[in-house]
Amino acid sequence: MPYSTVLRTLLAKTNKVNCLTMSKKTQEELDRWSKEVKRGAVTLAILALLSKRRAYGYEAVKLLDEKMSFLALEQGTVYPLLRRLEQRELLKSEWDYEDPTKPKKYYAVTEEGLLALGAMAQAWSDLSREIRDILSEVEQ
Amino acid sequence: MSSNDPLVLIEQYLERVRVYLPLDSEDSIVELQTHLIEEAQRIGGGKMTAGSAMMAIERMGDPKSVANEYAGSGKRVGPVPAEYVNPVSRIIVVLLGIGIAITVGFYMLGVTLAQVIGADIQNWPFSIPLMIVLNAFIIIVIIGGISLLDRDKPLTEKTTLESVFGIGVDGFKPKGRWDAAGDLVMGIFWGIVIMLPGVVILYTDAFAAVYMTVVIFLFLGAIKGALFFFGGENNFNLAVEGLLSVVWIALAVVLINVGWPIRYVYANAGAGWTLFDLEAFFISNDIPFVPFDWIWAVIMFVTVVVAIWRVIVSSMKITMYLRAGKRLWWRGNWGERRSLRTPLWKRVLGEHDQFQKETAVHHEGSREPDENQ
Repeated sequence: MPYSTVLRTLLAKTNKVNCLTMSKKTQEELDRWSKEVKRGAVTLAILALLSKRRAYGYEAVKLLDEKMSFLALEQGTVYPLLRRLEQRELLKSEWDYEDPTKPKKYYAVTEEGLLALGAMAQAWSDLSREIRDILSEVEQ
Repeated sequence: MSSNDPLVLIEQYLERVRVYLPLDSEDSIVELQTHLIEEAQRIGGGKMTAGSAMMAIERMGDPKSVANEYAGSGKRVGPVPAEYVNPVSRIIVVLLGIGIAITVGFYMLGVTLAQVIGADIQNWPFSIPLMIVLNAFIIIVIIGGISLLDRDKPLTEKTTLESVFGIGVDGFKPKGRWDAAGDLVMGIFWGIVIMLPGVVILYTDAFAAVYMTVVIFLFLGAIKGALFFFGGENNFNLAVEGLLSVVWIALAVVLINVGWPIRYVYANAGAGWTLFDLEAFFISNDIPFVPFDWIWAVIMFVTVVVAIWRVIVSSMKITMYLRAGKRLWWRGNWGERRSLRTPLWKRVLGEHDQFQKETAVHHEGSREPDENQ
């Protein structure tokens, strides 16, 4: 059976599954796959958000929350990631003690981070185009 | 007991998280604090209440898991689950550190540990760490059993186990800014007092020969205080503290042998101030000079134990900061508890907390019972 036919059949089945209720196994597979995709995408999303303007932790959590439903992240994921990106010198941070009861650690993208963001954005764009092409072939 | 003050609830919760975090986590604590306050304000529609603070805390989750997400490797380290690695290692370091400090302190006094305990210890010194580990294990098992009973405590209340795990947290906190100011002022003050001619004439001959070394050490201590006051905790200041502690240990070896430093005291017999010879008084009345020697030995012992503890903590922290990619100097933290409340003196002057306790009114108009007080 040709590859595209297999994919078409699968897609039809998936649509049928979505229309009804997702089986436990499918849900598990989707969760696993989502986790893998998120793991890669979240770094790109954070770098992209912070390249436009600096933000402190809570702000970053809320920005991600507002802008993305698929990438809905817990604060327990965002803060450690911000710290890891800072350690990898893709982000830099600065404390703002203007309000002493709520000191804010602002994160901004470094030069190195901007370069990485550019490369990641290009790779992401290529990847999504290729995936879209494959999926559109299947849908035809 | 849970408070109705949202700020206290947040502080209590963060104290629980702190127990499970590594030593260099003050920044994470402050980030979490800001997150909780902003989230509580958002939930409370711009105003933070006990209810909104509790909801923000509950959304953040179990302190163990939160700390592990921030700092944990997510792996089991030996028999210890990841979230307990930090507190358990800290307790071990504290016990070993205290053990080493006390052992060295006694050694410097010329007393063996066996003499102090007054028992024949078999296989010394190998039995010491074995006893510590065994006792720590028994304590943890007992406290772990007790902690099963307080599983239902609110998120802001420390469990019994956490109280045990919290041991040593204070010992590793950075020096407070006002403690540093105290070191600066007291170092200068005592340095000057010790070299005043009116004080120098009171010294024994042996101490008079070395007192200037003590004066120099006190002034160096004052410089260290100034460094911590302005720069907070960083590698340079920790190295200075470690180095000065080593110098003090060396100096203490000499001072222990010098013995009690005061020979004369001022006495007023009605005809003005005269020098009263303490040593001669004790000798002429057949009283042994032993109590003063013991007082001196205890003072030296305590200062040596503290100095050894500082050397251990400084070396650990420098290693930790170097691993975190820090260099020699940066504007570090001070160990003050970051209280969210307006200080009492400001409140007396009429400046109120930024976050006033608000009576939470639900949409239906009902009030939260715990906030009506």
